[in-house]
Amino acid sequence: MPLSLYYFLSITAVNILMSWALYVPYRVTQLHFITIANMMISGYLAGYLVLHAHVPFVWALLIGFAVGGIIGFIVSLFIGDAPTFSVVIVGFTSIYITRTLVENLPIIGGTMGMFGLPNIGGNPGTHRWIILCILYGLVILCGFLIYRFDHSSIGRAASAVFVDKELASSLGIDIKKLGMLLQTFSCTLAGGVGVLYGFIYRSFHLDFFSFALIGVFMTVLFVGGYSTQWGPLIAAPILYGLPLFFPPEVQSWRIVIYGLLLILVLELKPEGFITRKFVHSLGLSFSQKREKEIYIKEEKQ
Amino acid sequence: MQVFIAQILNGLSIGSVYMLLATAFNLLLLVAMIIHFSYPQVVVFCMYIIWLVLKITNNNVFFGILAGVCSAILFNIVSAPLFQKIMKNREEVDINATMVLSMAIGWIITDVLSHAFNNGLPIQFPEEITGSKPLFRVGLISILPGQVLALSIGIIVVAGFFILLYKTKTGRAFRAIAEDPAGAKLVGIPLVKTGFQSYALSGALGGLTAVLLIMLFHSASPGLGEQVSHKVLAVSIVAGLGNLVGGLVVGLALGILEALVQGYISGNWSNAIAFVVMLVVILVKPRGLFGVKV
Repeated sequence: MPLSLYYFLSITAVNILMSWALYVPYRVTQLHFITIANMMISGYLAGYLVLHAHVPFVWALLIGFAVGGIIGFIVSLFIGDAPTFSVVIVGFTSIYITRTLVENLPIIGGTMGMFGLPNIGGNPGTHRWIILCILYGLVILCGFLIYRFDHSSIGRAASAVFVDKELASSLGIDIKKLGMLLQTFSCTLAGGVGVLYGFIYRSFHLDFFSFALIGVFMTVLFVGGYSTQWGPLIAAPILYGLPLFFPPEVQSWRIVIYGLLLILVLELKPEGFITRKFVHSLGLSFSQKREKEIYIKEEKQ
Repeated sequence: MQVFIAQILNGLSIGSVYMLLATAFNLLLLVAMIIHFSYPQVVVFCMYIIWLVLKITNNNVFFGILAGVCSAILFNIVSAPLFQKIMKNREEVDINATMVLSMAIGWIITDVLSHAFNNGLPIQFPEEITGSKPLFRVGLISILPGQVLALSIGIIVVAGFFILLYKTKTGRAFRAIAEDPAGAKLVGIPLVKTGFQSYALSGALGGLTAVLLIMLFHSASPGLGEQVSHKVLAVSIVAGLGNLVGGLVVGLALGILEALVQGYISGNWSNAIAFVVMLVVILVKPRGLFGVKV
């Protein structure tokens, strides 16, 4: 597999998963940027375990998921029902604190980064296939879980909280518990993705986890559409892939392009391109088409 | 003891800058009803404009400061319709959407600064504007002109702001909108016009803050805005979003805390420790120490 295709596929999967990690708590209006800090913590921890403690990759990945989940759960005990801006600043402060910790810990490479992570499966080709399989397996699994969540009573409760917290509370929805559940899921996912993110490049560096990363995930979420899971799924490959066709001097302005795009979408299509209404009408037209086809078949018979 | 006094002085001067930024941030929040998260990034952008004008005019400080203040006012007024449109789109004030919009503006500013100015390298300001020679020095304690100006301008501007808020017609309009926008509209206060006035006023405050930051730091980098904006948002949340008096207290306290950590702990831990303290406060009291006013 060509290296460029591997990077395109793997980073697209990371963008989908991380946008979903933001999408899930945003169902109750929480922008949970602590996920980026979780990526860093789990990623560096797994890298250290594999490189220095010779822990098998699978175990390191599972530990990454678990650590992300535990951090997410502990933090959610405090901010499960906090206002959006408090959740945002908890995320930013966590990123700063984690970055400073990583910078000052020579055991995980400090500012130089962590290099020389082993190939999973022995050679680079197998390594790439394994990483892609895990990433897209995770996309399918998370996609299924989020779909089930969106169509469950908890999903409907989250929608109620998004529209009006006080009304949702008076309807008997436990906003804190719901927030805790969604934040923990989001952080668990971010922990695992953090491990995979580093293993895509077989290295970890602080530059991988800059604030620009938030910009990318936010753009995917808001441009794609924050009201359904399909928005990020469709927007991630387009937003990552399109700039690759631009000349290199334009590509380096990627964040400016993303920022302008986000502003345009917020101004012109506040819910993003793929909205619930759009998904619903699409589903309806497909079912009508199917009904028509069945009717024509029956007529012929 | 000398280190302690020196760091307290440093802390007060930096704290007064946080105080100004938090005041302008809260003004926009209360009157224009937006979370202008990237407001400090606009301030850093103005620092770059001042640097550019100083370069062009052969270090003419007057033109530099004028350009800084004007660019801050202009930037705020030009960006105002973007925020207004979002509110109109959603038929009601959506503070979260304004924060996302402001974040996008911030990314653009940071990326433009790192691409278009000085090849992304930090910029250094000339002595004409920084006034680097100390006014007073005893042992480790030295008082720089920037520190004196930052503190005194900080106090004067905040005092002036509170006089404007409580003794003038415009201030009464600001407070009325902050208290009850629908009620303010009902008694004939022009919401849009007053909102624009708050954008202009916070722009002027931003321009002044840019000058003070130049005098205190003597340099700037594209990432400075991001760091300061996270601190200002944290200060506002720790104080209680929209709480003007709380913002003053917590802004000064953050400055002193940072300076003391810098004085006693080596390395780049000062930011992290300041953030740890704020994180703990936010986790324990997500709605702030002094209560949310929005």
